[in-house]
Amino acid sequence: MTAPTITPYRSELPPARDGFPQLLHAEWTKLRTVRRWSLTLLAGVVITVLVSLLSAFSGSSSVSGDRSAPPVGPHGGVVSDSFPFVHQPLSGDGSITARVSPLTGREGRAPEPWAKAGLVIKESTKAGSPYAAVMITPGHGVRLQSDFTHDTAGGTVDRDRPHWLRLTRSGDEFTAYESADGSTWAKAGTTRVAGLPETVQAGLFVATPEETMVQRQFGSTSVGGRPARVTAAFAHVTVDGGQGAWPQDTVGGGVGGGLKGTPDSATEKSGTWTLTGSGDVAPYTPDVDIAQQSLAGAQIGLIPLVALGVLFITAEYRRGMILTTLTASPRRGRVLVAKAVVLAGVTFVAGLVGATLSFLLSEPELRDRMPNPLFHPDVALTDAPVLRAVVGTAVLLAAVAVLALALGAILRNTAVAVTLMVVALVLPLVLLSGLPLDAAQWVMRLTPLAGFAVQRTLPDYEHVDAVCMPENGCYPQGPWEGLSVLCAWAVVLLGVAVWRLRRRDA
Amino acid sequence: MRGALHAEWTKLRTVPSTWWLLFAVSALTWALGAVTTGTVSTDQCPSPDECHEDTVKLSLTGIWLGQAAVAAFGVLAMSSEYGTGTIHSTLTAVPGRGRVLAAKATVVTGATLAAGTVAVLGSLLVGRLILPGNGFSSTPLSLSEGPALRAAVGTVLYLGLIAQLSLGVAAVVRDTAGAITTVLGLLYALPALVELVGDEKWQERIHEWAPASAGLAVQATKNLEGLPIGPWSGLAVMGAWAGAGLLAGATVFKLRDA
Amino acid sequence: MQATIEIQELRKQFGQTVAVDGLSFTVRPGQVTGFVGPNGAGKSTTMRMLLGLDAPDSGQALIGGRRYATLRRPLTEVGALLDAAAVHPSRRGRDHLLWLAHSHGFPASRVDELLERVGLASAGRRRAGNYSLGMRQRLGIAAALLGDPPVLVLDEPVNGLDPEGIRWIRGFLRGLAREGRAVLVSSHLMSELEDSADHLVVVGRGRLIADTSVAELLAAASGERVSLRTSARTDAMRLLAREGATVAADGPQSLTVSGLATERIVELLTTGGVPFSEIGAHRATLEEAYMELTRDAAEFRTVEAGADTAPGAEAATATANEAEGTRS
Repeated sequence: MTAPTITPYRSELPPARDGFPQLLHAEWTKLRTVRRWSLTLLAGVVITVLVSLLSAFSGSSSVSGDRSAPPVGPHGGVVSDSFPFVHQPLSGDGSITARVSPLTGREGRAPEPWAKAGLVIKESTKAGSPYAAVMITPGHGVRLQSDFTHDTAGGTVDRDRPHWLRLTRSGDEFTAYESADGSTWAKAGTTRVAGLPETVQAGLFVATPEETMVQRQFGSTSVGGRPARVTAAFAHVTVDGGQGAWPQDTVGGGVGGGLKGTPDSATEKSGTWTLTGSGDVAPYTPDVDIAQQSLAGAQIGLIPLVALGVLFITAEYRRGMILTTLTASPRRGRVLVAKAVVLAGVTFVAGLVGATLSFLLSEPELRDRMPNPLFHPDVALTDAPVLRAVVGTAVLLAAVAVLALALGAILRNTAVAVTLMVVALVLPLVLLSGLPLDAAQWVMRLTPLAGFAVQRTLPDYEHVDAVCMPENGCYPQGPWEGLSVLCAWAVVLLGVAVWRLRRRDA
Repeated sequence: MRGALHAEWTKLRTVPSTWWLLFAVSALTWALGAVTTGTVSTDQCPSPDECHEDTVKLSLTGIWLGQAAVAAFGVLAMSSEYGTGTIHSTLTAVPGRGRVLAAKATVVTGATLAAGTVAVLGSLLVGRLILPGNGFSSTPLSLSEGPALRAAVGTVLYLGLIAQLSLGVAAVVRDTAGAITTVLGLLYALPALVELVGDEKWQERIHEWAPASAGLAVQATKNLEGLPIGPWSGLAVMGAWAGAGLLAGATVFKLRDA
Repeated sequence: MQATIEIQELRKQFGQTVAVDGLSFTVRPGQVTGFVGPNGAGKSTTMRMLLGLDAPDSGQALIGGRRYATLRRPLTEVGALLDAAAVHPSRRGRDHLLWLAHSHGFPASRVDELLERVGLASAGRRRAGNYSLGMRQRLGIAAALLGDPPVLVLDEPVNGLDPEGIRWIRGFLRGLAREGRAVLVSSHLMSELEDSADHLVVVGRGRLIADTSVAELLAAASGERVSLRTSARTDAMRLLAREGATVAADGPQSLTVSGLATERIVELLTTGGVPFSEIGAHRATLEEAYMELTRDAAEFRTVEAGADTAPGAEAATATANEAEGTRS
């Protein structure tokens, strides 16, 4: 056969570009040119805001009238600061020493693990004023605490025998010592308390958190608290640099919604002081995280975003368009990654809009409807924890959408992927309160639901026992930790999806 | 009508996904039932005998998961016809649209009721096997008691109603993703709102009107006076949702071009 | 870069079914190459492997000497139309081309240029879900031409087009080949390729049956055959068969005879007193040639059995009709 010589065709178009940005541009064009998808995205925002508003405006507005201001600590947070205080002025540097007996609870009951008895050097007897204190606790050994939020662990304490404690001041620096026998001393730690005057009050204190009772049966939970009371004896009390006389005071007047315990008391008998107290010296932790609750709508608003994420890939399989996509970009892994990036970007922006609006519209209302709003921090969008929660909500919605995309790519089936995602993310909300605490906490720790931990704005203090109920939105892990679990889910599933897409025939 | 029924049944049984989904109804229900009955304990009660746990309801918790498969089943029975274009053949074979939808609803409900019976009886059996090991030995589960029988029968009916609701929604929305999202939203998002709203009055209102929480009130066998809505009236609310869904579906199906 | 497609010993099995079984052929530039075979012969599978959508079990499919997956700017090297229905129904036709253009960094003006070229300029703003099948084919061809590639791979592009559309696409494909492009067009109907293909690759059951130019195929199929018209068909058949000829009835009054020279036939018929007219060398149609080639392919045995009494043109038509019936 004699084929005529043919000049192969040469295109006169300007050269094409094939970078990742072009792939992103293509996927973005795909996403924005289906109007139904834009509406779905909008639905995600609207539902988030509406559910947040519903949860804010449906709250009981039982204004009790008691709106007395709670004590505020040196760092601005609301604090519990209520204890019997036997003290004397201390000018300049000096120290206070005492032998502290083990704590006993009311009517022979075991004291709370975080009950405290020890020595305190405090600016004044005013609740909320700066202080440093060394103490023994029934459950956590010797502790050095200052200004409510700082806590350093010392040595262990024998449950049945008295323990010697010493607290020394040197300018702003406080050093705690402890001893089992009063002769060999060990350093328990140092801390700084800024801004103290020359003359401060050095003395003895006892304090205890409330007793909490949790009733958790299938489908119903009740958390109750009642004041606890502890007693401890202080012997061989000496103040180096003190002024001799021992005035007695009671700092604060009971805190935490005005609950009153038995009156605090302090008595002295042959040089041994016996103190009984029922208040606590600790940061105040509200039961309700208002900023978190103002973002609650995201838990429902994610449903349309899940549908969008799944459809973004399964629609291509349904229509056979995946063939066009893959012939245009044969490097399949990059296609899916580009899809994920575009989807994440778009849902992040939508989530950010939804979360910001939810917070701004719901938070003031929620706070206003609390029994005493003053006990809840008055937070602004720009506060670090709130910013973390709002931006974190946007990130979590983006991660959920990517997770849905990955699941859709793996299953290639819209109905199954959407159902799995919605059930996994929403059903736990309904059922968690029915599961035993351990099981519920494992669900919150390991499933994609963990990401919602990022909405917590209240700090967790190691030296405050909080009742952590899943149904109250308390997560067993930190905000970032939870968000990482969700992101890990999204990344791992996306990895599996990329692997499958490359391995399988289209 | 018999022809239409037979046609719908043949269509349904010749798709493998039907059998997978019906199997999933039971498997998911049993799995969650085993988890909840396996993790419950009498620790919170003064003594095991005084534990007034609603063991029947507990054993049937798995329905919360199994209903997702029923929803997918009901939606797909309708939406897959639009997705593949089979709807045109269906309507040329049986031009009466009301008849088509009625036949579909009958067949889908029948299949769901059958699968639901297996799911419910299996769950009760699982509960009966597991619960005594956790200290709930005094009251073995038995269908001879009135409330337990009501819970079992009611739950099966509930699943049938879910299938009808899903079918109706799919007839309105036509698109699989949209329909399944809508149904799951009704089934899960509405009850989840209870956890998100603070006010008890609102919580009660949602309990009374959300299809899943109202319908599943039929599972309660103890403390009936403490419920926001009674067992049968709860199921009636679910029935109203299903009826409304089917009615809307039928209206759209008749009025809109296929 | 050579603008060619090379298929080398390609093999693909799905479960127990061998879809493509050691297929080799080459597509040259400047020609429209028809890729023909009955449904299920492995044409689409071959094209999917060529485009990197399916992985071959062995062998390779190369474009310009490279595997598709290694192409960096595939749209500028190969344009493909696989499934015209593969468009999201709620996306506008223009937007469908737009995302493709964006994946290679082409400007939107390129999209409008192509819409104009395939005759969709006015329909570009409509949702693709409302397109007729013919419009979708045009949209798919526009997508294939987006990168102005030197190689085009089109799977059944004529399918669903009206006669006007078929004529348009034939001219269009020939024009593209004349520019020096290599064009591979698959079809299960030989007649669709009648006026457009220069070269043919015929497959059956995943194997190569013929790789030849259209002219050669026609010459071979016409062979030493003679067509004649007669009002006494049965007499003529008996007479000629007795002399050792193979006779096939094409119609009520026409016969195709092979194994005897024209002069001998005239002589026999005249002496036998059988009336006849219009005797001459037989010119095979492309379909006849195709039938000849695929006679042994298993897919055709049932059809052949059913059309035993009337082989040749009638059988081919029957096949074509049946095939069309299954497609529509």
